[in-house]
Amino acid sequence: MKTLRFIGLVLLAGCFAGIIHGTTNLAIVEPYLDEAIGIENQNLFSSGEEKDTPEFWVEYSSYRDWQKGGQVLAGAILGTSVGALFGIIFAFSRRSLPGNHNVKKALVLAGTMWLTIYFIPFLKYPANPPTVGDTETVVLRSILYLSFIAISGFGALGFYKLSKRLDKGKKIVAILGYAIFISIIFVAMPQNPDEVTAPMDLVNGFRAMSVIAVSIYWISLGIILGAFWQKLQPDKPLQTHTS
Amino acid sequence: MSYSEAVTVSKSSVPILAVVILAVIFGFGLFLVGYDQGHLFSIIQGAEAFDDLFIHELTHDMRHAAGFPCH
Repeated sequence: MKTLRFIGLVLLAGCFAGIIHGTTNLAIVEPYLDEAIGIENQNLFSSGEEKDTPEFWVEYSSYRDWQKGGQVLAGAILGTSVGALFGIIFAFSRRSLPGNHNVKKALVLAGTMWLTIYFIPFLKYPANPPTVGDTETVVLRSILYLSFIAISGFGALGFYKLSKRLDKGKKIVAILGYAIFISIIFVAMPQNPDEVTAPMDLVNGFRAMSVIAVSIYWISLGIILGAFWQKLQPDKPLQTHTS
Repeated sequence: MSYSEAVTVSKSSVPILAVVILAVIFGFGLFLVGYDQGHLFSIIQGAEAFDDLFIHELTHDMRHAAGFPCH
């Protein structure tokens, strides 16, 4: 395999998909973030922690511009890093993925990874807007979220390995095995300790837009990486001639 | 007597070096966007970085939107 070509196309595909993700967030998630931060500000005023003064709003605008500006950059960084993981798994599993075109193969893998390391963990620990979340519990919540992703991801990998040892007609056993395994983990893992005090229409709207934006990322990643792979063929055997 | 011999070696396996580089990029990027609370800049800036939260604020909106626990 051509190492540099492989690394380059994987990183570029992840970066492009991440930029799409960040831009989508700006369009559909950002209004919910603004609304939630507006509630946070009102809470600060009513508790006396901050005063509703022009100076406050100047400082607020300055850091909100910084946060909004970071959406696309953070999207590119996160997209590149998740794309790197996707590229590794795609390289190892490409031959056994269904489909006769690399875009189709990449989309199958993207769908599998979306389900196992994003959507199922999301169902247990859904995304929350600002105003939801106690600073005191952020480390615990981070550990829980990351642990669930890791358990689900490695679980899926383990059952995939198992499926390769099974006869064609019995591969469903591995899928059922993963479903039972992750259901047990889902029930056994502790709940998010924080109470949701924000209006539920805001929280649910935010979560729906978050899922749409992340799903767009995974679809984009599958299409772009698959298309790059199809075009550049980094795993085309190198022909070494000696005479 | 001279003769020539052609041997063709096919190399199509995934290079370990590429896997290591991509794995490092994955870990670093995930930490930066999802979990940094001033740690990275504290290497240069010291303890002040934990108050400034430069990276945290930059990635704040993406953290929430991508589902990472934030604050």
